[in-house]
Amino acid sequence: MNGEHIHSAFDRDLEQLQADLVRMAGLVEQALRDATNALVTHDTELAAKVRREDKRIDALEDAINEEAARLIALRAPLAGDMRLVLSVIKISGHLERMGDYAKNMAKRTDLIADHPMVETAPAVLKRMANQVIAMMHQVVEAHISQDSALAHEVRDSDAEVDQMYNSIFRVLLTYMMEDPRQIAPCMHLHFIAKNLERIGDHTTSIADQVIYAVDGLRPDEDRPKADLTSVKDLTGS
Amino acid sequence: MTQNRAKIRTEGVNVHYGATHAIKDVTLDIPDKTVTAFIGPSGCGKSTFLRCINRMNDTIDVCRVTGIITIDGEDIYDRRIDPVQLRRKVGMVFQKPNPFPKSIYDNVAYGPKIHGLARNRAELDEIVEKALRRGAIWDEVKDRLSEPGTGLSGGQQQRLCIARAIATEPEILLMDEPCSALDPIATSQVEELIYELKNNYSVVIVTHSMQQAARVSQKTAFFHLGTMVEYGETDEIFTNPRDERTENYITGRIG
Repeated sequence: MNGEHIHSAFDRDLEQLQADLVRMAGLVEQALRDATNALVTHDTELAAKVRREDKRIDALEDAINEEAARLIALRAPLAGDMRLVLSVIKISGHLERMGDYAKNMAKRTDLIADHPMVETAPAVLKRMANQVIAMMHQVVEAHISQDSALAHEVRDSDAEVDQMYNSIFRVLLTYMMEDPRQIAPCMHLHFIAKNLERIGDHTTSIADQVIYAVDGLRPDEDRPKADLTSVKDLTGS
Repeated sequence: MTQNRAKIRTEGVNVHYGATHAIKDVTLDIPDKTVTAFIGPSGCGKSTFLRCINRMNDTIDVCRVTGIITIDGEDIYDRRIDPVQLRRKVGMVFQKPNPFPKSIYDNVAYGPKIHGLARNRAELDEIVEKALRRGAIWDEVKDRLSEPGTGLSGGQQQRLCIARAIATEPEILLMDEPCSALDPIATSQVEELIYELKNNYSVVIVTHSMQQAARVSQKTAFFHLGTMVEYGETDEIFTNPRDERTENYITGRIG
């Protein structure tokens, strides 16, 4: 799909929709960065900011949905245009959920700020966060440039996030078994890791939407998965 | 979607208007009991191609049609085929409603009369009523059948013309932009009718409205510069066309 619409207002509407989506992705990325830093540095102030800013993300999702509905009603988009509008609606939904996960991380940061930090956990969580942020970057880039090959790369790299989640799961489990007083903070850290893992999944779903918008096809369900945290594996029973 | 058998088959059809090569090598199968839409920019050849199916182009001296067009396996350009008989089998509805300057009744009765489809008045009455009912206009005109057809509203006139076209029991109905002169309500009524008609006929419709093609047809063919660029399931063409020219046309882009 290339070339401009004969109705230039159609192009302007689509550009507006894309601009809002990019702004929303930027806010989610910032929330994720801040939530991670707040966790690692015990910064409750920064965590509070993440919780406040989530309202802006939610408002942008509403705005995008309204604009998309208006565009469908007035312009009746077809083919590639229609797929693009549908994908923007879905992507904004995923971004909104990702924002919620960042907010949830910020809440838990408050709860564990007083506890001495489990040694290796913050470093692994930070690495995990960096990985999902990089994936987010890539998937937004893939959306903007309508590059399905790049979106496929993002899908494939989610396996790394899953692996990191597995390893931190094991670490936290070990801590909890050794010292029951660590159970509460470790549970919170585990939920944070799970949040990051879920954010990775949403990023992958966004990649699926990009592939649909560009190629008109739903990617197969054969992407690499690496969640190996079944109880049986861990306890060896 | 289940595929109905091909009612109309065309193979390597070319149409020349004098020096102009209007249709270039079009091969396609049009299924029975299905609405097939022809879309494309003005001058792309879709109407010309439609008119090949009931040999309307015969009336134009400089027009030359080559290739094969068959209906139910029978070559309609065969010398033994009588175009008048062919057109009874292949009805046509035009862009602007064109009722005869006669009563509503006579508009519909005309075809069956000249083709000798009714033996007496009672049979003719029956044919007229049936056609008007199928044309979804019976309830609106049943009390004024003797009034002139030209006195009806545009939408009613078009439905009257459709009733007139189906009164001779055709097997195929060709429609050349049947709604372009109608308001949205009348358009919806005609579209609903087209959708109904597919249960009995093979309907081929030329339209400039993408939305109309999407609403009424199951198959869509996109024409461009005399060539048939793409032909497939309507939902496929409008959600994920294969050819860039189709995409550019239906999304309203400068090609």
